Amino acid sequence: MDRKPPFRRKTSISYKTEEKTVMRGYNLSDLAEEGYSFYDAMFVLFQNRIPTETEEKMLKYEMGVFLEHSMSPSAVGAIGVSAGRPNLPVCVAAAVSTFGGVHGPGAAHGYMLNKYLKRAQKEGLTVDEMAKTLVDEYMDAGRPVMGMGQPQHIDSDPRAEPIHLKQEELELNGVYLEFQRAVEKYFHARRKADGRSYVGVNVVGSGNTALMEIGFSPNAGWCIGSVVRGFSCAAHALFNMKKGRAWGASRNEPMVQMIDLSMIKYVGPEDRIVPKQEERQEYARTQKEEGEYKQWVI
Amino acid sequence: MGYLDKKKAESLNKAKRERSIGNLGDPKNPFDYYDREYGTVPQDTKRAPFQWVSEVAYKNVHRIVTRGYDTTELMEEGYGVIDVLFIDYQARIPTIEEEKMLNYIMILALEDGLSAPAAISRIVARSKTFLTQACGASIMAFGHAYGAYSAFGNRLEKYLALSKKQNLSLPEAAKLLVSENLNDEALGVSNLMLKDPAAKRMLARAEKLGTAGEYIAFTREIVAAAQEISTEPVDLDMLGATGAAMMDLGFTPEATWAILAVTRSFAAGAHYIEEVEREETNRLGQELTPKEDYDGPEDRPVPPLAERDKYAASALCTTPDEWTQRFERMKTINGSGFGIIEEVEDPSKKSGIKKVGKL
Repeated sequence: MDRKPPFRRKTSISYKTEEKTVMRGYNLSDLAEEGYSFYDAMFVLFQNRIPTETEEKMLKYEMGVFLEHSMSPSAVGAIGVSAGRPNLPVCVAAAVSTFGGVHGPGAAHGYMLNKYLKRAQKEGLTVDEMAKTLVDEYMDAGRPVMGMGQPQHIDSDPRAEPIHLKQEELELNGVYLEFQRAVEKYFHARRKADGRSYVGVNVVGSGNTALMEIGFSPNAGWCIGSVVRGFSCAAHALFNMKKGRAWGASRNEPMVQMIDLSMIKYVGPEDRIVPKQEERQEYARTQKEEGEYKQWVI
Repeated sequence: MGYLDKKKAESLNKAKRERSIGNLGDPKNPFDYYDREYGTVPQDTKRAPFQWVSEVAYKNVHRIVTRGYDTTELMEEGYGVIDVLFIDYQARIPTIEEEKMLNYIMILALEDGLSAPAAISRIVARSKTFLTQACGASIMAFGHAYGAYSAFGNRLEKYLALSKKQNLSLPEAAKLLVSENLNDEALGVSNLMLKDPAAKRMLARAEKLGTAGEYIAFTREIVAAAQEISTEPVDLDMLGATGAAMMDLGFTPEATWAILAVTRSFAAGAHYIEEVEREETNRLGQELTPKEDYDGPEDRPVPPLAERDKYAASALCTTPDEWTQRFERMKTINGSGFGIIEEVEDPSKKSGIKKVGKL
């Protein structure tokens, strides 16, 4: 049996021999035998260190509270893919891949915090002063402040403030939490002054703050958040595969299905006649000149 | 929204009938093509409107609930990811021993060096993508050979059911399983862990924690049966140990497959990061494929289009003999697909491709 890796790389993450699998110097089997937790292993993987007990507890809380979120783009993605009945990992892959610039943009929030903390250090400003600068710059430019607001939990994300509180309870309040709290303070004040409604911190704003406080990079934090959601999305896909109807369009179900024909609302160009090939050139030239098509270009 | 106004539809159909469109008006069609509706199907008011139906979880503005438990309350009470996996997949809180066992398994499943999931993650990373794309791609590496937890688990269930039905002892059922599947990638027994004790330690841990049950017992019998008839040294491998331990924790083969693929994806994320940190990106057209790796037809001139008929070869076969000859000929053309079989089945209830491999 060929046991060569698919390709060669110099890596400082792990190696594997016939005798053992070693991650950052620790034999994985020994790590498990010693009684370390999966959360501890996350610190070893991404930070090359064993965490303190409180750091481990914080990660346990953050990952656990983020794992399940019922119907979000990630679960809907998994369920949508499952309608064609591919292998289960495909549904989960789709779910994890839904995390982008808007759905759980953990890395973007982290980079924002890092960028402004760096500026605070460089410009000799306090964390509080820099938080005000951040809020003013984002809101003056009409940009959404990362980590604030959630389209479903409109008056406060049920996970968000409890994460902040857990971080404080565990006495893990460092520069990130101070900065995030200050961002929220100025964000709320500015919206109030503008006569706008209250928008609470979301789970990226609080969860990612906690992840960065316990030493994870923006990308590592994003990975942890996005991938842990994959666990629940697999359950949603599996439920639909085992107990739902494939395709999601059966007319025999008592409830209208996800892609029943009646669910389609079309707002494009009206039905029209396909030109014959002999009419094509003239038709195409006229269509291009008239330019009506441009409103439909995407 | 709904169907197009009747007059407009009739006018369009009339114009099309007069113009005639290819074969669409052919009487062999089981319909009159020029008498069909336009526009979308009106909303169905007789049935209940569509909703996302779930047994797993719901949320409202103020809470997220899985299998009846508020997820924030779960964390406040000290539960974690491992517990929520039992809740999501089995609708129950695990015992402390079960929680410890799954924790143990997930640490072992986290990293596997530069095997397929990490390699795929790194390849995707080189295209300058989001990290989440690479993590997603790594999960797709889990199939019915690599990380074949569903194939392994469903086979255990099949033969355990058979043993009950035919009144076979566990060793007898194991012998039957091995005799019918000795060289299968998802057997759980191979020569991969002859020097690494991690798989055996996992089962020992399950036994020590008291979570070992019939799946581990059966797997031990499968190992013994395989060792008896194999011509080379074989032993329990990580697939067998992990799959059996997960099923004794109550996870279905499919749940096991998903949980362990996602677990590996965390490490795939680290590999994505390291690839971006240490390596270069790829551009379209950048990589060359050396001619010495090519064993297809020799370089040849493209025939002039005007002489197409002189060079073209039809695939049309008019008799079963002709068809058989062509099929055999095509098997020699690598990449054509004639040399392999992939029997795709609906994986809704029991996942697994019936057979993938060489003919």
